[in-house]
Amino acid sequence: MITVSSLLDSHWYERYKKISKLNIRSSIYDVTNRCNLRCKGCFFFSSGEHEVASEETDIEKWHAFVQKEQERGVNLAILIGGEPTLCLDRIEAFYKRLPTFCATNGLIKVPRDRFPDMMVGISLWGDDKDEKTLRGKDTFAISSANYAGDPHAYYLYTITPKQLGKSEQIVQKIKDVGLKVHMQLLSNDEGVDGFSWKPEELVAVRQEMDAMLDAYPETVISSKYYHQVITTGTMLGRPFGWQECPSVTDPLDKRTPRPKRLTNFIRWSSDLETMHRCCTSETRDCSTCKDGAAHMSWVMVNKRAHIKTAQDLQNWIEVYEMFAKLYQFIPW
Amino acid sequence: MSTDIQQTIQRIAEIIIDELKLEDVTPETFDPDLDLVDEVGIDSMDLATVALVLRDEYGIRIDEDDYPRLTTVKIIAEYIIEKQSENE
Repeated sequence: MITVSSLLDSHWYERYKKISKLNIRSSIYDVTNRCNLRCKGCFFFSSGEHEVASEETDIEKWHAFVQKEQERGVNLAILIGGEPTLCLDRIEAFYKRLPTFCATNGLIKVPRDRFPDMMVGISLWGDDKDEKTLRGKDTFAISSANYAGDPHAYYLYTITPKQLGKSEQIVQKIKDVGLKVHMQLLSNDEGVDGFSWKPEELVAVRQEMDAMLDAYPETVISSKYYHQVITTGTMLGRPFGWQECPSVTDPLDKRTPRPKRLTNFIRWSSDLETMHRCCTSETRDCSTCKDGAAHMSWVMVNKRAHIKTAQDLQNWIEVYEMFAKLYQFIPW
Repeated sequence: MSTDIQQTIQRIAEIIIDELKLEDVTPETFDPDLDLVDEVGIDSMDLATVALVLRDEYGIRIDEDDYPRLTTVKIIAEYIIEKQSENE
């Protein structure tokens, strides 16, 4: 039988042991249906998810809900939106009880006296021109001023086909404000003209992502295997899609056979009762989904499939480490 | 080791091999002290799968909170025997 230690030298084995028992159990929460931006291609609005349930406004109900989530075994709360920072009291309900990650557009600064070490992921959709095209304004100018040098914040840089050849200037300007960056790809749910990926563009963006990781290893939090998986949509020869996705809400998951998946994962709507089908848009074609977290998780839950060769297992370790860093389970 | 625990160890190894489709190992060659997480790469979903079969086979419920300490086949066997004696 192939064992982990038979494949790894002592350096890699030590890295493996630091993550092998983390047992991360995440769920995703829509904190609000509202946002202070309306970005073209944002799945939350394009698929009508902001209208499926009305927000719970009683903060005591939020506290009770989070308590139940904690009892359900969740040890990572991923807050998305709308824009979570419009409802700091709801964020606080999570932060007081659970390791919490808050996705934000960065226009409102999370007060660090209230949330000293909460990890914040700031969305960025390209250079100032693309930001204005897709989001109506250049958010970087504001978000970078809000979070410059913050050790508990990083940029979630959504690369679009229009960004090919331009990512280095983005990474450089993030480095210049003392922050880190994780790269993901736009899924273009609204079919904005010119923002859908063509096969040759996916080849090119993978090369560009690899180059950024090589050139800015202290700034870019990523792994080349993740780049491979998300750009090709395949892992160990298996195509990504509905039957493989690990980020389907557990009580709604009727797939047979059940694939390897996130344990007890649920994406909750902001009424605290309604569940969304998965971590992203229900209307999205799963075969072309580029959701970064889903692809990372896909690798992570398929650990034993990677215990075949030293390279496969090292690839798995790097992806798991990347996820653990992005959500503060291990240091940068 | 008593015959009871040896038989239980062998049966658990067989279940793990079958359920997780492990290759190049038999119940006889499965090291009962091998760390299932650190060495075999078993995760909580795998354990949940195995726990269901063990529940049916031995009539005991394995609490999810106990998963982290069920790190080897031998420890699982001891856990099952302890649970069974509690139920008697």
